[in-house]
Amino acid sequence: MSLIERLGTFGDAKVWYDNIPLESEYTVGIAGERFLRAIKDRGVILGTVCPACDLTYVPPSMYCERCFTQLDEWVELPAKGTVYTFTIVTRSLDGQALDEPEILAFVKLPGAHGGLVHRLTTAKPEDVEIGMEVEVVFKPQKEREGSILDIKGFKPT
Amino acid sequence: MRRTAAIVGVGYSGFRSISPDLSYKEMMYEAAAKAYEDAGVDPQRDIESFVSVAEDFNEGTSIFDEYVPDQIGGALKPVHTIPGDGIHGLIAAYMQLLTGAMDIVMVEAHSKASNALTLSDVMAYAMEPIYNRPLGANPHFIAGMEMNRYLHSTGTTEEQCAQVVVKNRGNGFLNPSAAHGARVDLEMVLSSETVFYPLKKLEISSHADGAVVMVLASGEVAEELTSLPIWIRGVGWCNETPSLETRDWEGATYARKSAEMAYGMAGIRHPWQEIDFAEIDDTYAYKELQHMEALNLCRKGEAGHLVQEGATELDGAFPVNPSGGTLGVGHLLDASGLGRALEVVLQLRGEAGERQLGEVETGLAFGWRGVPTTSGAAVVLSV
Ligand SMILES: [Zn+2]
Repeated sequence: MSLIERLGTFGDAKVWYDNIPLESEYTVGIAGERFLRAIKDRGVILGTVCPACDLTYVPPSMYCERCFTQLDEWVELPAKGTVYTFTIVTRSLDGQALDEPEILAFVKLPGAHGGLVHRLTTAKPEDVEIGMEVEVVFKPQKEREGSILDIKGFKPT
Repeated sequence: MRRTAAIVGVGYSGFRSISPDLSYKEMMYEAAAKAYEDAGVDPQRDIESFVSVAEDFNEGTSIFDEYVPDQIGGALKPVHTIPGDGIHGLIAAYMQLLTGAMDIVMVEAHSKASNALTLSDVMAYAMEPIYNRPLGANPHFIAGMEMNRYLHSTGTTEEQCAQVVVKNRGNGFLNPSAAHGARVDLEMVLSSETVFYPLKKLEISSHADGAVVMVLASGEVAEELTSLPIWIRGVGWCNETPSLETRDWEGATYARKSAEMAYGMAGIRHPWQEIDFAEIDDTYAYKELQHMEALNLCRKGEAGHLVQEGATELDGAFPVNPSGGTLGVGHLLDASGLGRALEVVLQLRGEAGERQLGEVETGLAFGWRGVPTTSGAAVVLSV
């Protein structure tokens, strides 16, 4: 037993359209507050250290995702790193072609287990490669708002 | 000793690129009706528990589980909905049988992707909101970055990734229920636009609509219901980390751990020898190769050579994605993994038509929840 009658013409195939607006605030939390404030006020990148696992988390976390320990050791990391991987984005969120392709990279910071996913700003796509050394480009201090976008991206050193 | 359990009935609706004629409820009803007929069970009389897999944002309805019971015969019965891949749902149903509290359960997953007008926004809304989402990037960028690192670390080539598309869309061509089966050649794939370097347009699977239902039964009941139960020999699942900053960008750890758990349970030590074929996630072409290595079907860096040599073709030593996979069948949202498991069942039963593999007794299905997740689930099935 299954469906006995089906629609036979396109005109009979109806839809009802609707959309729902969704808006949220996301509490950045204790670790996020300290991380973003350090970028805004001092232009430095902070991480937390798990001594048991010998891992440094960037962005910092209040707990170790490997061993579940609460982390309270904070370190300042150099605002530079190495391109671990990258891509060249040619499409917007809704799939439209971008006027200018954008380079996104995951940059590992020296001494950190983690790093930052951000734009490579001044690099030409053909010049980018895995392993390339880059440094953080901060916005001018008066333009910073306490978000990850206070970092413009990375540029080759 | 652990109770045994088997899949005793399967049914599906689709798979099609659009489905303007059927509501998602009617697709679920059709798939369920076929599965119950196949298993020879009456849902109200025989099925003790119903598991569905759905994600509110994909459905366009919050608290979606409320809209599940009626079209699968589950009204006034124990029903619950989980988010995850379809194989997570299959495992949830299996575990209910293992408790001994149930003897016949069903699992359902579906996709009505064509109704979701802003699916890319749904994917973007899955991004970490404080550190990643502000970049406003199309989430496929994660696949582009991961593919780049995977190629770098394994020496796998762009041609080898493109060959996955040729194979899977070609397999889909032989599968009447595949929405995106096609004969494409390597040159077409390689010359399709590089949209998220090094990922090319034709290496990204397209969505499809459809529903999949399976009926599962505990050992003795399964043998009463059918002469060809498909036994669940091992299951495994794993989440690595949601963090883009600390995950393994090379080796799909979630797949490796899922497989280790499933193989351990199934007593499989040499998967390439002891398993005959696999249906594994290929949401992006390189993912099939990365997942093959993570699932320990071959060594790191070897999968690309295997696909190039034809070892994973229908007539190869170890066929991978005979159905056409996600590239050929279509990406079924939450039902993708269950679609992979469905093909394993059809192949083991000898019901796979033109794409039927010869002499297969054991198959592996592996599903991944897609970007930005590191969430996977595996199941080993045998006749
Ligand atoms: Zn730790």
